[in-house]
Amino acid sequence: MTEQATNARPKREAPTGLAMTRYRWKKALRTPTPYLMAFGIGLWILTYYLLTEGWQVWRFQKLPGPVEVITEWFNPDPMWGISLYTETYYHHVIVSCRRIAIAFSIATGVGVPLGLFMGWSKTFRDYTFPLLETLRPIPILAWVPLAILMFAGFETPVIFLATLASLFVTTLNTLLGVDSIDEEYFRAAGCLGSKPHHIFFHIVIPGALPFIFTGLQISIGVAWFSLVAAEMVSGEFGLGYMIVDSYMNITYVTMVIGMLTLGFVGWTTSAMVRLVGNRMMQWRVRALALEGR
Amino acid sequence: MLDNTPIKVATKGAISIRNVTKIYDPEGVNVMAVDDCSLEIAAGEVCMIVGPSGCGKTTLLNTIAGFHSITHGAIYLDGEPLCTEEKPLAPMGADRMVVFQHGALFPWKTLIDNVAYGPIVQGAMSKAEAHDKAGYMLAEAGLGDVSLKFPGEVSSGMARRAEIVRALINDPKVLLLDEPYRAMDALTKSIMHESLLEMYDRTKVTIFFITHDLEEAIFLGDRVVVMTTRPARTKQIVDVKIPRPRDYKVLSSEEFRVLAKEAKDAVHEEAIKAFEAGERELA
Repeated sequence: MTEQATNARPKREAPTGLAMTRYRWKKALRTPTPYLMAFGIGLWILTYYLLTEGWQVWRFQKLPGPVEVITEWFNPDPMWGISLYTETYYHHVIVSCRRIAIAFSIATGVGVPLGLFMGWSKTFRDYTFPLLETLRPIPILAWVPLAILMFAGFETPVIFLATLASLFVTTLNTLLGVDSIDEEYFRAAGCLGSKPHHIFFHIVIPGALPFIFTGLQISIGVAWFSLVAAEMVSGEFGLGYMIVDSYMNITYVTMVIGMLTLGFVGWTTSAMVRLVGNRMMQWRVRALALEGR
Repeated sequence: MLDNTPIKVATKGAISIRNVTKIYDPEGVNVMAVDDCSLEIAAGEVCMIVGPSGCGKTTLLNTIAGFHSITHGAIYLDGEPLCTEEKPLAPMGADRMVVFQHGALFPWKTLIDNVAYGPIVQGAMSKAEAHDKAGYMLAEAGLGDVSLKFPGEVSSGMARRAEIVRALINDPKVLLLDEPYRAMDALTKSIMHESLLEMYDRTKVTIFFITHDLEEAIFLGDRVVVMTTRPARTKQIVDVKIPRPRDYKVLSSEEFRVLAKEAKDAVHEEAIKAFEAGERELA
């Protein structure tokens, strides 16, 4: 009965790979989203321009305007020493990215298992939860002196601070992810004859993934701003250092270039986390797609 | 044409519920969910449980499945004790499979992986064998085309059917269903009923089926057990002697009408009591 109904209809293969990407782009271009985004950015730049360079509004006139910043950014021979054409610029970016990569990897590698165990085992949670909750509200800047005391050099304290900030977010979100799993999945798994390790790998981990990835997106953001804070206090190279250094040297244009670069790089890293998440949660992506999201 | 397939006779899955009492203790106030309830379910019987909302039907199912402990009494499966006063919580096991009210297919596994999961974790089959069998059973249930989809991509009817297949692949003694078709429209429901009866005729598994829907209860069941309002006790048992295999013509027969009236009267009385008590449904 049902089979006949499906067989009668000619099957249309769903597009895959590149064709799928092209189809999605085409579809996206027919929605208002890309145009609204472009308009939003345009409006923001225009306001920025009018406040600074255009009307030179009081208090804003001291800031470097968009024309000045963009000219300097794309200048092969930058007036203040740093642009897309200088090696120093990339050095700052790469140093920060490397620190983020290390800090984010450690935080994820420790935080996710920690959160999973805390969610899975009541005893383990009872041991660790108070400690986590006590350490979590301490602002990352308060850890700076301790980090400098504990670790030698410039690199380790900075990475430590970024890791720490990121770790708390990841752990807590993973824990909440395990809590969010419907009791009935555990019961069903129990009925089906699962042993504890089956439950851990087949229910706890996949069930917590949506929360884990939400947590990872927040945690990579947190890693960026604690990294930059740390680089401002102690560090040699890195975008945070670049910003503070240009402030000290009164090269405000370079400072704004540093800030914008940070924004773009940060956005890219979050997008990468989202991409990996969607890869790992095809079940969710496909179900949401059917709901038109 | 003569049908040569051997007639399947149930030899396992007899449940004896003996004087079971379950008392909950939320916030220090004892709530009696099930009170001295006794019920004998024969091997291969389709036993339908009806009763007002929150009367303790689900609690009873949960004690059989091993999700909840009992306070007094005992439950036996094929003469072996599942839970007693000494050991009040029955172990969960693949001999008693539950199909949940809201559906509990793992959303992160495809239908075929969901179905193959049980035999794999029990070590009953290799991965390849389990996938072969799962694919075969899904095709048999009319789900061959969607076996590689995730539960979130198929209709609720298909998902529920796949969930029953996931239960049956383990060759359980008892199938425990907790209002599995509650949220479905009447048309989908009728298709689900036919497919459940077909699966039942093939397996003759004992079925413990909780529902609010009296027509559903009489259409599917060998017996309809009407429960009292909380605490749950058996109030009345309606024997359904309509021969199998049944189809939808049964619904308009005189016999069906009489049985429906008998059950309706019994349930209505309890529904009024439950409404007047006005207690919050616990499960």
